[in-house]
Amino acid sequence: MSAEDSNPAATPTPCVDTQGDGRWMSLHNHFVSNSKDKEPDVLFVGDSLVQLLHQFEVWRELFSPLHALNFGVGGDATQHVLWRLSNGELAHISPKVVVLWVGTNNHGHTAEQTCGGIMAIVQLIKDKLPNAQTVILGLLPRGKMPNPLRDRNARVNKLVQEAVSSLPHASLLNVDPGFVHSDGSISHQDLYDYLHLTPQGYQAVCQTIHTHLKGLLEKTG
Amino acid sequence: MDIAITLCVNVYCVVSDRMSGDEMNPAAVAQAVVDVQGDDRWMSQHTRFVLECKDAEPEVLFIGDSMVQLMQQYEVREHGHLCVLLCLLCCWVRHPKSPAADPRTIVTRGRECTDVPYKRAISVDHASCQFNLHFKVWRELFSPLHALNFGIGGDTTCNVLWRLQNGELDNIWPKVAVVWVGTNNYEHSAEQVAGGIFAIAQLLTSRLPKTKVVVLGLLARGERPNPLREKNAAVNGLLRSLLPQLGQAQFLDVGEGFVHSDGTISTRDMFDFLHLTSAGYRAIAKPLSDLLLQILEETPEERRASLV
Repeated sequence: MSAEDSNPAATPTPCVDTQGDGRWMSLHNHFVSNSKDKEPDVLFVGDSLVQLLHQFEVWRELFSPLHALNFGVGGDATQHVLWRLSNGELAHISPKVVVLWVGTNNHGHTAEQTCGGIMAIVQLIKDKLPNAQTVILGLLPRGKMPNPLRDRNARVNKLVQEAVSSLPHASLLNVDPGFVHSDGSISHQDLYDYLHLTPQGYQAVCQTIHTHLKGLLEKTG
Repeated sequence: MDIAITLCVNVYCVVSDRMSGDEMNPAAVAQAVVDVQGDDRWMSQHTRFVLECKDAEPEVLFIGDSMVQLMQQYEVREHGHLCVLLCLLCCWVRHPKSPAADPRTIVTRGRECTDVPYKRAISVDHASCQFNLHFKVWRELFSPLHALNFGIGGDTTCNVLWRLQNGELDNIWPKVAVVWVGTNNYEHSAEQVAGGIFAIAQLLTSRLPKTKVVVLGLLARGERPNPLREKNAAVNGLLRSLLPQLGQAQFLDVGEGFVHSDGTISTRDMFDFLHLTSAGYRAIAKPLSDLLLQILEETPEERRASLV
């Protein structure tokens, strides 16, 4: 019995179209064909936090100049990203860096399972892109006040940090600039629905990512 | 013709909360969102909106789902035309009012008039309704606008009804309420969804008799033709005939142009074939601003007398 079979977060799983307009598969196909004539140095992949980033000015300012592609899909959990990357989204590109931001939507999975899902993605990237660095972004806190999901996300980050500590090709980057205030609250000015980032929230997060990416890209040449 | 009559009768039954038989229209039943994820975000957002009602004096209220919510995230830098629209509203409603105007608001407006430099920036020729904007000051104009955005991602008509009945209309008297909801009502038929949206418009016109209600049509969705596009179009068709029954409410279709001749929708307009990009929001700003300006031009007698 492999670890994958026993961890649903680490088992490649496409999203089932329950709504009726096939959008998840459309997006996946769009990413696959979109990548055929692109030569990105950086690939961002993950959930809505990645996807929405692409819509704001900060993407054009900070990441377009780095020749970045965005394969974010809202609602995705680790098993969905695993499926997408296993089914064509890495087939036509060789980015130097993959930025992975996923895990906050793994509802029903434990922190351990979610970490396992993230590490399965890291392994897949290594298999398909042996020379690429994977930068895993830490999961942000969520909810207006302290709640179990904050604890879970923090635990995922801790487990991932431990798991990558021995890996030369992957690292965890903490991008939380301090969204949680001293009274435990998160502001809607940073996370407009206490989950998704405002443009202001993205500015803070992206500075950290950008600085880190520039350092990595300079090293890889 | 027979089909149209049958449809209108069915919709009337739905709208009056009764299907054929005795069932309520489920899309017209107020319902809070249950926190299944564990961080209570829906209730946190609702609570924040109720609090905002205590201090805010909005001229415009936007209420609905993520289509409304995301609009605010593109504001100012991203969404020039909506800025123009809302700034025009701001300036229009803040110009000198007649003595018959609500004394409660005069003090507020007086204070705002001295704080905000918009009078230098904007000249308004009321006779010909020409607006001359100095675009450099958009950001300064936008913040005193007092447009409230009560959008929550994922909301159905049931959720919006619940929010409006539970505090999100308390102590505010907006000139215009813009309603955009219905695309998330997956469990309901087109007739039920139209009935749910109608119930929202009905609630608004009864709670706020002086407020004009603008209901935005549901957009097409999905990359290619699919059943949800047909359903959303059917909802829009029903709303077109239903809403005129409410004197203060009207329907506006902002979906023109999103579906190309080959039936596809582009990610340039909807980044996930559902949610609008900033370019998508710019496209809907035009018909929306045209209508809102038209509504504001229909000024009541006492206001017209004061405009010189």
